[in-house]
Amino acid sequence: MSELDTPLLARSAPSSFRFDAALVSVGRRAGAIASLLALLVAWEAASRSGIVTPFLLPPLSAVLNRVAEDAMSGELALNLGQTLYRAIAGFAIAGAAGVVIGILMTRRPWVRWFFDPIVSVGFPMPKIAFLPIFMLWLGLYDVSKISMAVFNAIFPVIAATMAAAEGVDRHLLWSARSLGANERQLLREIILPAALPQILTGLQVALPISMIVMIVTEMLMGGQGLGGAMIAASRFADSPGVFAGIVEIAVAGLCLVKGIAVLRRHLLAWHQEAQEPTTV
Amino acid sequence: MSSTAHIVIDRVSHEYRPARRRPVLALDDVSLAVGDREFLALLGPSGCGKSTLLYLVGGFLPVEEGTIQVEGRPVDGPGPDRGIVFQHFALFPWKTVIQNVLYGLEKKGLPREERLRVAHEFIELVGLAGFEDSYPAQLSGGMKQRAAIARTLTIDPSILLMDEPFGALDAQTRSLMQAELLRIWQRSRKTVIFVTHDVHEAVFLAERIAVMSARPGRIKEIVDARVDRHDPEVQRTPQFLEMVDHVWNLVRAEAIQAQRSGAA
Repeated sequence: MSELDTPLLARSAPSSFRFDAALVSVGRRAGAIASLLALLVAWEAASRSGIVTPFLLPPLSAVLNRVAEDAMSGELALNLGQTLYRAIAGFAIAGAAGVVIGILMTRRPWVRWFFDPIVSVGFPMPKIAFLPIFMLWLGLYDVSKISMAVFNAIFPVIAATMAAAEGVDRHLLWSARSLGANERQLLREIILPAALPQILTGLQVALPISMIVMIVTEMLMGGQGLGGAMIAASRFADSPGVFAGIVEIAVAGLCLVKGIAVLRRHLLAWHQEAQEPTTV
Repeated sequence: MSSTAHIVIDRVSHEYRPARRRPVLALDDVSLAVGDREFLALLGPSGCGKSTLLYLVGGFLPVEEGTIQVEGRPVDGPGPDRGIVFQHFALFPWKTVIQNVLYGLEKKGLPREERLRVAHEFIELVGLAGFEDSYPAQLSGGMKQRAAIARTLTIDPSILLMDEPFGALDAQTRSLMQAELLRIWQRSRKTVIFVTHDVHEAVFLAERIAVMSARPGRIKEIVDARVDRHDPEVQRTPQFLEMVDHVWNLVRAEAIQAQRSGAA
């Protein structure tokens, strides 16, 4: 059969198969966001029907127009860049420090003795209440905003890392020890990768927290950034500007969450979950 | 038993102290000597403390009462002179087969080419050639245990501690792995302590069988089980079946007692 095929046919067959697969995949994705699309259509319809004034609910099309305008003028890139930079910086610091503290808490009694009460008190506390103190101590700019994000995002990372490091199968640790690993190598080469799936789950919680805290902090402190821009728009009764901020935040947040899910799949290629379909 | 004792266990007792529960005496006054290059099976019902004894020899649990000496030195923590193979393999799941096998060689500080050569040699020995780049999650139980055995053999331990290594495998794979283990043991001649609750397995593999009592674990009797392992049909000879019968009768009472006390 293959001898009879012309090279052209032989090449076109797999590409048409891929096209089908792409169509199916697009269809499945459209199905997955159908509820979201319905909501957006309802938004546009409600606003055009005259039930509400365009001031209370500007039509989606006008809001998207505004987003496009912001993008053209460079306003969007500036505000989005500021917010993402601070949110991701806060997340990265919280992630790195949280993993180190979480692992050391399970292996060094004095680290646990020091941090355990702090985590117990700090985790359930509404940390946004510390904002005035951060403003007093660290000012109104990046340092205080990033510190707020770190302060909020670090707790789920510590908790997830601690639970994961404590749950590492002792047989893995024993195997590594008997193969000649010392305590340092045990931490880095065995406990850290064995705990990675749960640590990543903690990071997947911490990233949106960092983003949320950044928006709220910007709203309360003002200045550049998506949160600051929304508050400014609200003060000038610029209704499309406020709604444009909501859309921009939603899209940015979605991209961050999807990004970290991709990172997870990449890092856990060895894990059982990579061999099976996942909902993340 | 061989001329020199490789491992000397002297009056060892061990107590587990679980949080907020009564302490459990797992081992009670156990003494045992294992000869150089001997294959010894520790046989007993579930929960009799045979794995605990193995972990004490491995240095994974602290020796609190009595002494354990390996080559005349008291055991103090795990060491590469005692390789361990666990029932559930304990492979590092984020490493491929070859990376798992290389781990101990890296710790030894061998040059890179030498490490790869030794790793491939042992992967070949256990029959895993062609699966070097597979992750443990992609392997069958038997293949995982082969990889774990290869990983342990690379560091060339003089003692091999095996904790029900074939207990998680299906019957066919188990009997193949038993024959393979004998082949490897006859080639490399290590001292082996093999924990099992399978009488047939103990008689087939071991030179001596230490039968343990139900909890708290004591050595009930030591049986010399020399059967002719070069005979491929040995498991059907009357001599072999008699030996299985004899050992089974020793274990039976203990197994019943273990079941009554809920340890099983």
